[in-house]
Amino acid sequence: MSPIRVQDDRIVQEVVIKAPAERIFRALTKPDELLKWWCAEGKFKVVNAECDLQPGGSWRMKVSGAGIEASTSTVYGQYETIEPPHLLTYTWIRENEELPETLVRWDLNEKDGYTTVRVTHSGLITESLRRRNNGWPLVVSLLSAYFDQRE
Amino acid sequence: MVTNRGRQRDRVFRAISDPTRREILGILRGGGKTVGGVAQRFRMSRPAISKHLRLLHHAGLVAIRKEGTASICTLNALPLRQVDDWLNDYQAFWTESLQSLKKHMEEEQ
Repeated sequence: MSPIRVQDDRIVQEVVIKAPAERIFRALTKPDELLKWWCAEGKFKVVNAECDLQPGGSWRMKVSGAGIEASTSTVYGQYETIEPPHLLTYTWIRENEELPETLVRWDLNEKDGYTTVRVTHSGLITESLRRRNNGWPLVVSLLSAYFDQRE
Repeated sequence: MVTNRGRQRDRVFRAISDPTRREILGILRGGGKTVGGVAQRFRMSRPAISKHLRLLHHAGLVAIRKEGTASICTLNALPLRQVDDWLNDYQAFWTESLQSLKKHMEEEQ
């Protein structure tokens, strides 16, 4: 039997944005910027953000109507790697959640005026759990609902 | 607000947050085993393994039944569904976050 591989325990998402990496990096690391973009209509919204952008520095966000669960919650952590405008990593901890520290990594790759933004959230669960949910049926339904709503 | 569902989910998270307990679940995936049968797969003491098994039992992930003098442990994967749900929510959270970032960045040009 293959052992459960914790290092594979992650969510990876990617999007291509028509903007310079430097601009996006700023949007990821400045409190006033985070308040402007980090939301999904009718689902969640970042209402407060603090960023001490230096290795080991703390960040904290208050999220209202969090899509993850109703009501307001706080997420916080510490910056680890800060390499503008290509790489940003920080720990991600949700208040009142019995989870070990998780890690968020942003990779920004700019080419011809477009930047591929990849976010990797690791340390969430185990590979075997992820496999059990083959195809992410619920996510697909959530996503299509999301895009329908945007039409 | 901590809901009942939240508390149960927290128990499941706590249970699977430990590598030894994850390994126990992996072993039980191959079929039911006695406490001794599980313990012999590890270097740590049998009482230590029993403690891990109790925690897994408390989270609803392991059923323990008596057969004569032996206690048979079997995997109950159902509570993991809560982790699936939670993870799905997170997956959607990141997708939506990236779409929002894209929209915001491209609109200001």
